[in-house]
Amino acid sequence: MASEAPRRAMQTGRIRSDGAHDGFLRHNNFQWLKVAGSVSLLAILAYLLIDVQPRPNGGSWYGYILGTVGAGLIVWLTLLGLRKRTMTPGAWSLKAWTSAHVYLGLSLIVIGTLHTGFQFGWNVHTLAYVLMMFVIVSGIFGVSAYATLPRAMSANRDEMTEAQMLESLRAIDRQLHEAAQPLELRQAELVRSSLEQDPFGGSLWQRLSGNYPDCETRAAQAAVRTENAYKPKLGNDPLEKVDALLSRKEAMLARVRRHLRLKALLEIWLYVHVPLTFALLAALFAHIISVFFYW
Amino acid sequence: MTFIVRQLSRTSEGREIVRTARHEADSIAIGRDASSEIHLADLAVELHHAQVKMQTGGELEIDSTCGLPFEIEGRSALQARIDPAVGAELRFGGHRIGVSAEDGAAVLTVERVEALSDASEAKEEIGLFTLKGLLPGRRPVAWSLIGAVLLIFLIWPIFTYATSHGVAKRSPGFHADRMWSSGPLSIAHKSLMNNCQACHVNKFEAVRDTACMTCHKDDAHAHADPARIALAKEPPGIGGRIKGLFQTAFNHPAGRCVDCHTEHEGAGRMPPTAQAFCTDCHGSLNTRLTDTKLKNADDFGTDHPEFMPAVTAGTDARGNRLYRRVSFNAHPVDNNGLKFPHAIHLARGGSIARMAQTMKADQGFGDSLACKDCHTPTADGTRFRPVEMERNCGMCHSLAFDRIGGTFRTLRHGDPAQVVADLRAFYRSTGPDRPISLGGMARRRPGDYAAAETSQDYVAGARAYGGQAEEAVQAVFSRGGACFDCHVVTPTGNGSAPFHIGKVYQPDRYMKKGWFDHNAHRSEACTSCHAADRSKAATDLLLPDLASCRTCHVGESGSRLKPVKTPVESSCAMCHDYHIDAGAPWLARQKVDRTKGHAQGRGTLASAR
Repeated sequence: MASEAPRRAMQTGRIRSDGAHDGFLRHNNFQWLKVAGSVSLLAILAYLLIDVQPRPNGGSWYGYILGTVGAGLIVWLTLLGLRKRTMTPGAWSLKAWTSAHVYLGLSLIVIGTLHTGFQFGWNVHTLAYVLMMFVIVSGIFGVSAYATLPRAMSANRDEMTEAQMLESLRAIDRQLHEAAQPLELRQAELVRSSLEQDPFGGSLWQRLSGNYPDCETRAAQAAVRTENAYKPKLGNDPLEKVDALLSRKEAMLARVRRHLRLKALLEIWLYVHVPLTFALLAALFAHIISVFFYW
Repeated sequence: MTFIVRQLSRTSEGREIVRTARHEADSIAIGRDASSEIHLADLAVELHHAQVKMQTGGELEIDSTCGLPFEIEGRSALQARIDPAVGAELRFGGHRIGVSAEDGAAVLTVERVEALSDASEAKEEIGLFTLKGLLPGRRPVAWSLIGAVLLIFLIWPIFTYATSHGVAKRSPGFHADRMWSSGPLSIAHKSLMNNCQACHVNKFEAVRDTACMTCHKDDAHAHADPARIALAKEPPGIGGRIKGLFQTAFNHPAGRCVDCHTEHEGAGRMPPTAQAFCTDCHGSLNTRLTDTKLKNADDFGTDHPEFMPAVTAGTDARGNRLYRRVSFNAHPVDNNGLKFPHAIHLARGGSIARMAQTMKADQGFGDSLACKDCHTPTADGTRFRPVEMERNCGMCHSLAFDRIGGTFRTLRHGDPAQVVADLRAFYRSTGPDRPISLGGMARRRPGDYAAAETSQDYVAGARAYGGQAEEAVQAVFSRGGACFDCHVVTPTGNGSAPFHIGKVYQPDRYMKKGWFDHNAHRSEACTSCHAADRSKAATDLLLPDLASCRTCHVGESGSRLKPVKTPVESSCAMCHDYHIDAGAPWLARQKVDRTKGHAQGRGTLASAR
């Protein structure tokens, strides 16, 4: 690692294996995966070789070493939140940092679990461990989301920006409003309910599932279509126009909602990962203080 | 009648645009229909929603024409009267209509106050596509979690500690510092579960021995002189020195009770101490304690001194057994004061086996005698009750000397003087058997010489009968006599107690420093350790030596000198106790308890442990 820096500094430009983008997971040919893997392997080997009496626990000398390393790692991993606010290139680039964050974070599974000595209970110590595992699992979810969802997202967006999606919805709404003016109240009410429903509304669950059973636009479209079904198409019926516009709105809404769903899946893990990290830091603090308090 | 209708709208910058229209009419219509004077392009408004009539006196009457209400000053109404001079505010769907008066004309100011659709409402577009608003923000959640965790898991327990400092026993119920417990307490300390301060006396101070000694005054006596223990300790290696540095830095001194008696390791019994704890001193003890009589012991499998059973070395003035510990290397014998060949008694053939077969129904013997026929285990199964003449030997060896009706009179075992007295009394109070030819009251006729001779012999015999007592006494205490067969008999020359029986010792422990539990060896045959079936003399010390134990027992980590078929890993604690007393070592007791499945006390201290 340390010897890497000067060698990399002498290079002109980045050396890429195949011209492909080198993501934070592959950074520097999986350098941090190798480091974290070796650390974990070493920890497991030592755990198996050191015969702690009467049974492995966090209070043995090896337990204290694992605990210290684990606590240091947790604090360092938290610092990514600070680090990401200043982007830098090079050997200690933010990407390298993120790569290390991911792999060293995963190695905490091994270090933290060995530190417990597989002794769990309803206490502050296990609380810290469980919070740590929640943070790690949410992080794994986040990494897998980042690895798979953007592809689906850009396929869905079809080169539309979010602003364009919003503007497109507004344009359809304006036309709907216009087209619905001559309608009798009952039909106008249908259109109005579609117009007045917040396309960005719905519960968190609806966001994440993309399932909106109470979509007014769909209901309006179905009702209008039912009314239209047996009428001759003369081309001068305002309801026909409204029907067409509602279909367009529905298609647009579907795209927006897919986008919202993917975006929510990309974001949701952080709502777990970040607050629980701080809960973990608090629990870690309580854990360490309590151990020395009742030494 | 004049109505002035002002349509207000705003540019995207927010500038107002006012379009004014005058209507000279008695009434004007409000509706979505384009022909209405007040045209509201609002889907919440009916095509022909309401009519505004000018009444005499300048008041306006507003009537709903479609049956749908409108709002006036926030109230829903189908009809309303308004004085334009006073003014009012009407609301139709998303439009607001202000009513006022201007130069005798009624002014109706129309303004759209709601966006025509939700999407076109002015919203903050940043964050519109995010989860903002659907979930509580990350920061407030993080802060509240930090607060909650610290409050519940740190401040609350500290408060509990502060309020129960110095309390002997807390009230039952939940106390917050229980949440700090790193694991369940062992069975012995289970009752302290709610009283952390019983051991954790002062904050940030490791548990001190004084805390242990509040309960363990009697049973936690010193292993040896502390000064000598300090001297005996192996100097720490590099790892030990580093550990020592940390222990000093963190106020965690070594050598406290809790170094070995670790708590919070899970429910059940407290785990025994590792062998290293002993061998750190005893592995090379003589290099540091040069005056020690103890031999080095590093591992049972490879480095352990030969056993030194305590054999009888005579008696003291009061008749107590003196013992001497002799290594098996010196082939010790143990004179217990008896003559008893085990081999004959255990033989599968011969007269004793034959006799056992005849007594099967009476005594439950097998085809020949077995160890259990004479040796009864103690209640705890650790060792055997001493063999008793009346209960064990007496099954075959009778001390009967007289029969009165169906009752046998026996010599008193264990009381030689009484035996002598009984025999003398027997001869004094009885005569020789009366010849049958001496008929009862039949008168003898002269010339019947045979009868006269018999009579004279009988009388002479009866006169000398008492003198035979001494012969009988001699016989009992001499070779072939009842006592002499098993005991060492020495004549005393004393008339009343002419013979002395050597004291018999049946020691309950030969291994004074170690511990052996027969209960733990129930699966073994007696003869696999005790070669009793080949022993011809009572002085044979039928105890297994070190090599014999090593046929099964190996070191703590499985070390051994010879191949062992079914190795039993044995740490020091299996046979030795740190706080040596008369009871079984801790580990041995635990093992027995596990196999028996119930807790077993240790004498009077059971409750304290």
